[in-house]
Amino acid sequence: MEMNLYGYKCKKCGQLHYPYRMVCKKCKRNAHNEFDLVPLPKNGKLLTFTHLYTLPADFEVAKLTLGIVELENGIRVTGQVSIQNPHMGMQVKGKIEAVRQEGYDTNYGIVFYEV
Amino acid sequence: MREVYAIGVGITSFTRLEYPLSEIAAYSGMMAMKEAGFPNIAHLYVANMGGCALNHQAGLASAVVDSMSLTPAGATTIENGPASGASAILQGFLGIASGMYETAMVIGAERMREVDNLESTEFVASLTHPLAEYIYGVTLPSLAGMFTRLYMEKYGVTSRHLAMVAVKNHANAMDNFFAHLHEPITVAGILDSPEAMTNNPYVADPLRFYDCCPVSDGSACVILASAEVAKKMNKPLIRLAGVGQATDTHAVQEREEPTDLLAVRRAAAQAMQMAGIKPGDVHVAELHDAFTILEIVESEEVGFFKKGEGHLALERGETSLTGKIPINTSGGLKAKGHPVGATGVGQAHEIVLQLRGEAGKRQVKNARVGFTCNFGGFGNNVVCLTFIREE
Repeated sequence: MEMNLYGYKCKKCGQLHYPYRMVCKKCKRNAHNEFDLVPLPKNGKLLTFTHLYTLPADFEVAKLTLGIVELENGIRVTGQVSIQNPHMGMQVKGKIEAVRQEGYDTNYGIVFYEV
Repeated sequence: MREVYAIGVGITSFTRLEYPLSEIAAYSGMMAMKEAGFPNIAHLYVANMGGCALNHQAGLASAVVDSMSLTPAGATTIENGPASGASAILQGFLGIASGMYETAMVIGAERMREVDNLESTEFVASLTHPLAEYIYGVTLPSLAGMFTRLYMEKYGVTSRHLAMVAVKNHANAMDNFFAHLHEPITVAGILDSPEAMTNNPYVADPLRFYDCCPVSDGSACVILASAEVAKKMNKPLIRLAGVGQATDTHAVQEREEPTDLLAVRRAAAQAMQMAGIKPGDVHVAELHDAFTILEIVESEEVGFFKKGEGHLALERGETSLTGKIPINTSGGLKAKGHPVGATGVGQAHEIVLQLRGEAGKRQVKNARVGFTCNFGGFGNNVVCLTFIREE
């Protein structure tokens, strides 16, 4: 089964959110969980990135590249970037992968690659 | 609302302190009490972020109020991320302005060096959005790094500008006994020399080691009082004339314009409007430079300079000690240090000293209006304060 990041579309006004929030930021009138789950596109444009060298304890690598990507539908997501020499504005494609191991817990999230 | 005055201040060194958190907190409180002539404290507000997570100390205010023998005064611990300090001052302000209390003590205290670097990085990273940021390994330096890259691209800020902020604040800290770093640096040394990549490596590129604040322990205290109490004292009258607070999205990516810090703009506007001043009226300011880029951006967002021109003003020396609007005379978070919960109170401490004319070698001449900006998360919770000296 293909894994996705999901956006949350308000059933009252249609506003799409990512990440999840309890109350719609546009109409502010939705009831609890009154959202439709919408799979987000995985391709987009790299807005900005950083190579991080002081890492949290869960990451046993020398550096981690992180970036903010504007997806094809305009939603922005933060994710890991697996590109040797990234540059701002480049097209990237995302894959859902394990991004962080916390003890026995595996967290899945989006990792961006060169198109 | 009643008028609120700062009648006493105290501070410990911002450094590594081998004392229990509650003692660190009480120490600056004792200094302020002595300075203010031991007023009767009606309520104690203690700002702290990591007491539970790092020091195994819950309910810090209860420990401090008893340790300082102030019982049965009310005591409240305030955790609001790195903006805890100014948030606690805001609560103290409300207590007195409302007429509920005559005097309130506000302490900010933190002990982050009890744990190792990995753990303190992890602790501060818990400020980020748990699902949209944290799981990817996002930390505060990485958010600042991504923000800096956008700012460089859009407005032409360079690594040299960032280094200039660090050099200026390190130089200011040389005259501040309580600062964490007493270490003069030069742009040539941290950027141009062959050793630069060794002594100033990248942390979250384009941010380097000297673009980031140190991890500090320490505490600071401000005692607030009504006009009736303050006017009996034989000291310059420093009025807390304006307070402002604003918030923004938790996840940074959700902001419409990623180079804007809207919460700073809004909180600053509130704090200045309440005090009846304009940005141009401010004589001295303490801005939250946890990363050098933030001093530049905040100086624009609070209104000292036009958007995108903060780095040019820095180049012209307008933010240095003898400039038009001296910023971070204490050394700022960059060199004075950043004990997260104490920082906002530490900023207020510096402004009170400056307005009284007690700042020694780093004194700004004839400073009568002071301003602080305390920045929580990556700009998702910001508290600004305006202080005015009354004649």
